[in-house]
Formats: sequence, structure tokens, C-alpha cells
Amino acid sequence: MSPSLIRRVALVVCLCAAPAARADEWASIKGKFVFGGSVPAAADLKADKDVEVCGKHKLVNEELVVGADKGIANVVVFVRDKGVKVNPELAAAAAKAKVELDNASCRFEPHVVFVQTGQEFVIKNSDTVGHNSNVSTVKNPPSNSLVPAGGSAALKFSSEEAIPAQVTCNIHPWMKAWVLVRPNPYAAVSKADGSFEIKGVPAGDIELQFWHEKAGYLAEMTIGGKAEKVSKGRMKLTVPAAGKDMGDIVLDAAIFKK
Amino acid sequence: MHRQDSPMKVSTNQAGILLALVVAVCAGCGTTPPASFRANLVEATKQRLTPDQERQVATILLAMFGTPDDPVALPETGLDEAKLKLCAGPVRSDIVGRKNGLYREHCAHCHGISGDGMGPTAAFLNPYPRDYRPGVFKFKSTERADKPTHGDLVRILHNGIPGTSMPSFALLSAVQVEALVEYVKYLSIRGETELALVRQYFELDDDAQGKLPETREFLVDEVLTPIAERWNGAADARIAVPEMPADIDMMASIAKGRELFYGDKANCVKCHGVTALGDGQANDYDDWNKAIVEWRKEVGGDKDSDWVSKANRVLAGDALRPRTIPPRNLRHGIYRGGRRPLDLYYRIHAGINGAPMPAAKGTVDPQDIWHIVNYIRSLPYEFDGELGVDRPMVAKDRF
Repeated sequence: MSPSLIRRVALVVCLCAAPAARADEWASIKGKFVFGGSVPAAADLKADKDVEVCGKHKLVNEELVVGADKGIANVVVFVRDKGVKVNPELAAAAAKAKVELDNASCRFEPHVVFVQTGQEFVIKNSDTVGHNSNVSTVKNPPSNSLVPAGGSAALKFSSEEAIPAQVTCNIHPWMKAWVLVRPNPYAAVSKADGSFEIKGVPAGDIELQFWHEKAGYLAEMTIGGKAEKVSKGRMKLTVPAAGKDMGDIVLDAAIFKK
Repeated sequence: MHRQDSPMKVSTNQAGILLALVVAVCAGCGTTPPASFRANLVEATKQRLTPDQERQVATILLAMFGTPDDPVALPETGLDEAKLKLCAGPVRSDIVGRKNGLYREHCAHCHGISGDGMGPTAAFLNPYPRDYRPGVFKFKSTERADKPTHGDLVRILHNGIPGTSMPSFALLSAVQVEALVEYVKYLSIRGETELALVRQYFELDDDAQGKLPETREFLVDEVLTPIAERWNGAADARIAVPEMPADIDMMASIAKGRELFYGDKANCVKCHGVTALGDGQANDYDDWNKAIVEWRKEVGGDKDSDWVSKANRVLAGDALRPRTIPPRNLRHGIYRGGRRPLDLYYRIHAGINGAPMPAAKGTVDPQDIWHIVNYIRSLPYEFDGELGVDRPMVAKDRF
């Protein structure tokens, strides 16, 4: 074997091994969604069923929730890559954890819930009235269970869903929630202040996907003052070992029109 | 047909003209032009498919399922092609005088050639005929999300669906009913495959350049097989029903059922109403109608564009006007999914797939479900005033 060939083989080996060596570095991706424009007031919802119980609560339309400092809650962010390497600690924690969706004060809490495939998903009812939870999954069998006062229904999803699935209550038609089903722990729902963090992502190249109930898969966003056009809410980025802070991600008021 | 003196060697252009001539002449002789399946344009437009992508779906479906005149059943579907042939094509008799084209004779005018529930009569019927394409059926003996068994569909054809326009086909021979059930499954599996393909474009990676892989692994193993397996596994998903105790005290059971009906656990009262006339929850939709209602909202909110005008065209031409679904009036004694106590048990246990009716499974004990069944069956015979609530007796006062 000629020396040059040996060098080339060695180089190829190096190239192949490089990503594997780096994949044990786990980093986090964070950012904050900010509403671009004047914040619309959330409309009141009228509780016309079980008025004696549900009428007591102030219910508002939660399709678009913008906080005082313009942070947008309930924006979904997840890692799209199918074969993404999963941090074993996160996987072990997820297998033990139970994810809950509560029927509380005649609304769902939280409004958008993230659950992993195989994880136990419990729909409970803290209200004094009975509910039912109609889960409109596409790839998993849809379900619709009665959830009596103080009771619960347990579900498990075997496949991921391409878009978050709607959860409704047929008894109280104003109630709506969304469940995001992913095959790994790499997803987040933005909090009341608009911030999100996905922890323990393998450092390196990754593809994120962004979704919001009223905007669908986000087609445009402004990051660091720069307008970004994205297709189907997908964005490729490189996550350094020290972590990636995307900073303020401004979403223009015009995209929330559905 | 074509002229005797036509040259032996023809250019493709000439051949095309000749073919057109032959087709035209045949049509003139009274032969029916070939039928084709209508694309699911609602879903294709919703998913923003390009014309090329719509064509790819049509090409794949043609290869996998054939045409309404000449159906194909891949072995993975588990369907019997001979039965399908009996139902497919125009109504005619074969050489031994056996009736062919059964689907078009008995079903297509309501359920449509494609099984989309949009035959010529559909818009005039209430409820609308079933759209088979999502593969969702209401009246069956299996768990909520599972497919109906073969026997479930046979029973529907035999009995019809009381309270709807679906008649009984008890006058058909057993062989014909068997064949039609097979054909309904074929249209469902085809429709589900189409939906799965159309929805798959969204998930393609950029390097796929907007084209689905036309490989056996993808089309058969990944898309078709899981759909077919759920149909072929339906018999294993049957609801286990404990027998109602033979020595049950019927009056006590009815009283217990009444308690459950109004109670917070079974909560029947919320939709079927304090009067049980089905006047509790009047503004809900079933899944078929809800899909259109929600898409209408989405289209209405979008900026004016070519997509919006196409979507409006599709909504006008390829979808029926959405209708709400009223909860059943339980005092009529008319039960769409069958009136046997067992049928009512199935409905309460699993709820009704595709409809707002939730499943009592896991919340209400089997013995309690039997009590509710007994109470429901007593409702049409309950004397006025026994409920202790004011209920309007005249239909016009109820609305």
C-alpha cells in the first residue's frame, strides 16, 4: 500500500469517526418568542354548558396567548431529525415520567402538552363536573374517553404525529388543547413569557421545526433583526457544544390570522 | 371499427387519432365510457399539493388499486379480487347470466363511485351517506378506533340503518352481500392509502424534491400494509361483553341505569338532554363534517391567493355543506346501529367512532353499562310525567 493511500484511508476513518466523537457533547437550544405588533385582546369565551360550575371561571380564547412583555406562549419547537442521538439520561427520565393533561376550571391545563411515544399520558379531571377528552390523533388511533369528576383516563401513543393533535371536550365545546407527540425528548412548548429551552441535544447540525396553533408551521420569523423565510417551519442550524441561544424570535402579528 | 385500408405503419400521432376514433365509435355504440376514481381534492388542497404531486398520487393509486371498472387487489390487502370484480364496472350480466356491477347498481348513487359519500343523491339525504375514505365506521362490535369486522358490515347491509336513508339489502343473495362488503373494504383501504400518501408530502425531506419514493418498501410495506393489517385484525379487536345476569331484577336495573344516565360519571344527560330527547348538545359536528368546518375557517382566514380560490372551488364542488350532528333522541326506540341490547352495549362501551359520543370503557363498570342499556330500552315506554321534569311533547316546542 502506498503511503498516500494509507493517508487517504486514515483521513476517511477520521472523517467518519468525527461526528460520533462529538455526539457525546450535549447542549441546549433556547430562545424567546416575541409578538411583533400591537397585542390583540383575548376574547372572552361564553360557558353555556354547566353554567353553575363553568360560569364561575373567567374563560378566554387561548388560541393566541401573548404576555405583558409580548412573549408568545404555546409555540411548539422540536428537533425534526429522525435518527437524532438521544441522551441516555433524558431517555431514562422520560420512561419514568408521567405526562398529565388536566381538565381544570372548565379548560385544559396546559393548553399545549408534549408527550413522547411510549410515555404514560394521563388525562385527569380536577373539576366537579364530568368531561370527555376527544383526542384527534392521525397516526395513532383516535380516542374519546369519558373523564368523570376526579377521574382520569390513561393513554399511550406508539407513533409520532406530524402535527400536534387537537384535544376537545364534546360536553363543553369551548375547551381545546393540543398534544404534541414526538419519538424523543427534544421538544418544547414556549412558556408564558415566550421562552423555551430544549435540553441535552447532541451538539452539531440539527433541524428544528416550529409550530403555532393559529399560525400553523411558521413560515417567517425575525431572528436578531434579520427576517428569515422558512419552509414548513423547518430551520437547519448548528448547535455548538456550549449551547445555542437564538435570542428573541419575533413573529409578526400578520401570521396569526387563521 | 377502423378503416380497412389504414396503413400498417402509423406514426404515434396517427395512432392517437385512431385510438380516439375507436373510443368515439364505441361510445356511439352505447358502450359506457370508462369510469375513474375522483381524487380526494379536499385533502390534496388542504396539504397544498402541486399539480405534479396530485398526478403522482393518482398514478400510484392506479397502479395499486386499478380503476372502478377493473379493480386490483394486491395480496397485502387480503382482499378477494374475484369478489371485487363482481361489484366493479357498469351493471351488466356475464355469460352465465350472473349480475355484475353490483356496487354501481346498489350503492354508487349515494356513496359515489369512489366511496366518497358524494353520489348524485348525497346532498339531498340527511344524514349524508358515509364517506368510506377515512376508513371510519360507526356501528360495529370492535373497540372505538378499530375497524368493523366483516360480520359488522354484513349486518349493516342486511338490516340497513334505521332512521337514515340506508336501506336493507336483505333481498340480495349471500354471495352478493359478501362481495359488496369486500368492495366497501376495498374503497376504504384505497381511500385511506390516498389520505396517507397525500399527507406524506409534508414530511418529505428537502432532497426528495417534493416526490414520494415509488418503491415497494415505501408504498406497500410502509403505507399499505399497516392500513390493511388493521382491517384484517378487526376480529381480534372485538369488545368482550360480560353476559347480563340472567336473574337480573329489571326494575332495579332500570332505576340504577337512570341514576347513571343523570349522574356525573356516565353523564349521558349532557348531550342526550334531561328529557332524553337528544336536545342537550345541539351544535357539535361529526369528524367528517368537522374536517370541512375547520378547513373553511382556515381558508377564510388566509390571504387572498391562488390557493384560496382553488380551496373555495374545492369546498364548493368536492365537499357537502357541513351539518351538525344531533345526539340521538332516545325516546323514539330507533337505534341506528341495531336495537339488540348487545348493540347498545357496544355503543356505550366504545362510544361511536367519528361521532362525539365518548367511550364509557374504563370509566363505567360493565355491569353498570348493562343497567344503562336497560334504562335506555325503557325510555320509549316511559309514561309522561314519570321523569318529573317538564318536557315539551310537541316537536315544534322543542326547537
